[in-house]
Amino acid sequence: MDFGLTQPQELLRDSIARFLAQDVGIERVRRVMDSESGQDEAIHGQLGDQGITGLLIDMNRGGSELGMQEAAIAAQEIGRAAAPVNFHSSYVLAPLLIAGADGGERRNGLLEGIAEGRTLITPILDAPIENGRVVPDAAWSDAFLLESGGSLHLLEATTAGIDIEPLQTVDDTRRVAEVTFSGVDLNAAESLGGSAESSQRAVYAAQIAIAADALGAAQKGLHIAVDYAKERKQFERIIGSFQAVKHICAEVLAEVEPVQSLLWHTADAWDDGSDEIDHFAPLLKAHATDVAPGLRRHRLHPRVRHAHLLQARRPRPPGAGESDGAQGAGGGCDVRLRGTLELRPE
Amino acid sequence: MAPLDATAYSECSEVLAEPFKRDKVASIMDTSIGSQYDELREEVRSFFAANEDVAVPAGPGFGGDASEVRNRVVKWQKRLVDAGYAGREIPQRYGGAGHEPDALASLVIEEEFQNAGLSLGMENQGISMFVPTLLHFGREDQKQDLISPTIRGELIWCQGYSEPGSGSDLASLRTSAVLDGDEYVINGQKIWTSGAREADMMFALIRTEADAGKHGGISYLVLSMDTPGLDVRPLMTMTGDASFNEVFFTDVRVPATNVIGRPGQGWEVGTYTLRFERNMLGRSNATENYMAGCVDILRERGLIDSPVYRDRLLKLEGRVQAMKYHQLRLLTDRLKKRDSGAGGLIVKLNNCQLNYDICALAIDAMAEQGVLKRGSKHVRDYGNWQRNYMYALGLIIGGGTAQIQKNIIGERGLGLPREPKPAAA
Repeated sequence: MDFGLTQPQELLRDSIARFLAQDVGIERVRRVMDSESGQDEAIHGQLGDQGITGLLIDMNRGGSELGMQEAAIAAQEIGRAAAPVNFHSSYVLAPLLIAGADGGERRNGLLEGIAEGRTLITPILDAPIENGRVVPDAAWSDAFLLESGGSLHLLEATTAGIDIEPLQTVDDTRRVAEVTFSGVDLNAAESLGGSAESSQRAVYAAQIAIAADALGAAQKGLHIAVDYAKERKQFERIIGSFQAVKHICAEVLAEVEPVQSLLWHTADAWDDGSDEIDHFAPLLKAHATDVAPGLRRHRLHPRVRHAHLLQARRPRPPGAGESDGAQGAGGGCDVRLRGTLELRPE
Repeated sequence: MAPLDATAYSECSEVLAEPFKRDKVASIMDTSIGSQYDELREEVRSFFAANEDVAVPAGPGFGGDASEVRNRVVKWQKRLVDAGYAGREIPQRYGGAGHEPDALASLVIEEEFQNAGLSLGMENQGISMFVPTLLHFGREDQKQDLISPTIRGELIWCQGYSEPGSGSDLASLRTSAVLDGDEYVINGQKIWTSGAREADMMFALIRTEADAGKHGGISYLVLSMDTPGLDVRPLMTMTGDASFNEVFFTDVRVPATNVIGRPGQGWEVGTYTLRFERNMLGRSNATENYMAGCVDILRERGLIDSPVYRDRLLKLEGRVQAMKYHQLRLLTDRLKKRDSGAGGLIVKLNNCQLNYDICALAIDAMAEQGVLKRGSKHVRDYGNWQRNYMYALGLIIGGGTAQIQKNIIGERGLGLPREPKPAAA
């Protein structure tokens, strides 16, 4: 009986956290949020340099050939850092779909590109597209991977007739665009083969990654709220000493913390190839994304979160440090609406 | 794998280099218990086969005439103690099986009982709370006299803690005793005393030293419920039972030797007991049995595919499974002698609420049948769903209210400051 991360896994988690804190800090996230396009051009290459994009890719294709537990560790840290990347789509769903394809040399080249962080492939499930689809990262994807009933087709983003129109999002770290195909001959798209079974398994993995991301974001949100509740004073008292505030923090902890164990077990079931995954992957995803937005439902920090968002937006005078109380304690971070993303309609 | 020095690596790319690459299959978290326990598993199974005649099912499917139920439960309890499944770690000289504490052996036994759908014995205030306290603080003669009959279900206990003016602020209790020769003479009142009419004995917190301060003047006393001067009056609750009582003390004389621990040490002894109450009320085995029962009801009623019911069911399933694996995490902490921190403090809060919510869903699904009282024609599962729905609501309050639990989680788990004491008027 040893239910928990191994020492190497903890080491991986800490290294990813350290990398994100150093290189993808909140200042950078805010710049991306405030930019017109919402694109962070450098992040994919940096994640590739760190090996984070290739966790699920075979060693002979440039990856580290690890499992879902390690991918979930990465997703949770990325959620915690609110890093502007759709890890579940670009580095879980895409490589697993492609790995399950029988596309020969082409398949290998795509996996190598993903592992290096130089190729961004965005899967679109249940293709074909009719009347446009809302697709993450569409404005800067290199190619779209259309999945339908398990069979895969690859379309370069530059293919004539693909229309991409960026849309406004509530979560500025994860932009989407409407993708419309007009006069694109889907039969002419490159077929990679694939199977329904392997598609299903890739979708389960993406569900686990979304849950891990939501959990990381929720843990960070709680952390910020608790830190703030320990220093903010009203009525000559630290507000965290008021039961009205303390109890909400306790409720969120009681809801969020057990999700960690459910995540570990589900990632394990995936790695183990267990049949349990049919039950646990959708259950985990539903439960984690239910609990993570619970932060808002509990009104844990409309105030705290709002304060941080306002600080995030307010231009700071040059040279201003992190001396401001609320700012310094939490480091600023917004819990994103990732939980509301649905992979696949019922 | 040799331990790795976390500080040696600053980049994931380095971590992901050679030392990290390992056989994937070996990386699956070890939730197994090990083959050295296979024999124990077999032993438990043959115990079931040999004791079918008095076996007591766990979960909602057991009930009926109260005295028949009690006789059966006591018979089962004795067999469990004799076989070493109840009172497992109690030393043999006190009537237990004297096994070394072994969390994995306990888990194997729990799993087998769970799979067989059988009760792992009586869980009451005597067995789950008083006995561990007595083992820690009691005198040898007290342990010799009281432990064996208690774990065998022959001696039933109630807990005399709460008073009309002392609930969450328990240390403000006022029931007091004065020493008269070699006897304490007790006067006062306890309330919300579960099972006082069925109990043979009471353990109680009594103020024995008037001038020793709020926490310092309390002693932990045990007394027989037959003692003259005790008056037990039932309180009816919405479950239809009178499981709670008021207990009045009028010049109740108790030998001074009936103190557990030292006189004046009662607060320490009493709060030690409460720790076990939190564990007893937070156990999750019953939760899974009730969840399975709830799914059966939804199936039978044709509601399993109703989106409204399914949504509620799956929300509960998410919480049940999360808590199930959370327990494995806590067990791992225990085996590694690691503090679980806030993780351990949330169990009572979550599981009591979860039990209540599961019963609520089952009752909603039963429709008209859901309003029937125990003993009624057409009532399902002896009315256990209705009873537990209402009783679970009580457990959310009892054993440290949900609000007190949240204070504990907030202060000990998250490090939030305590509520300041009001300025003296």
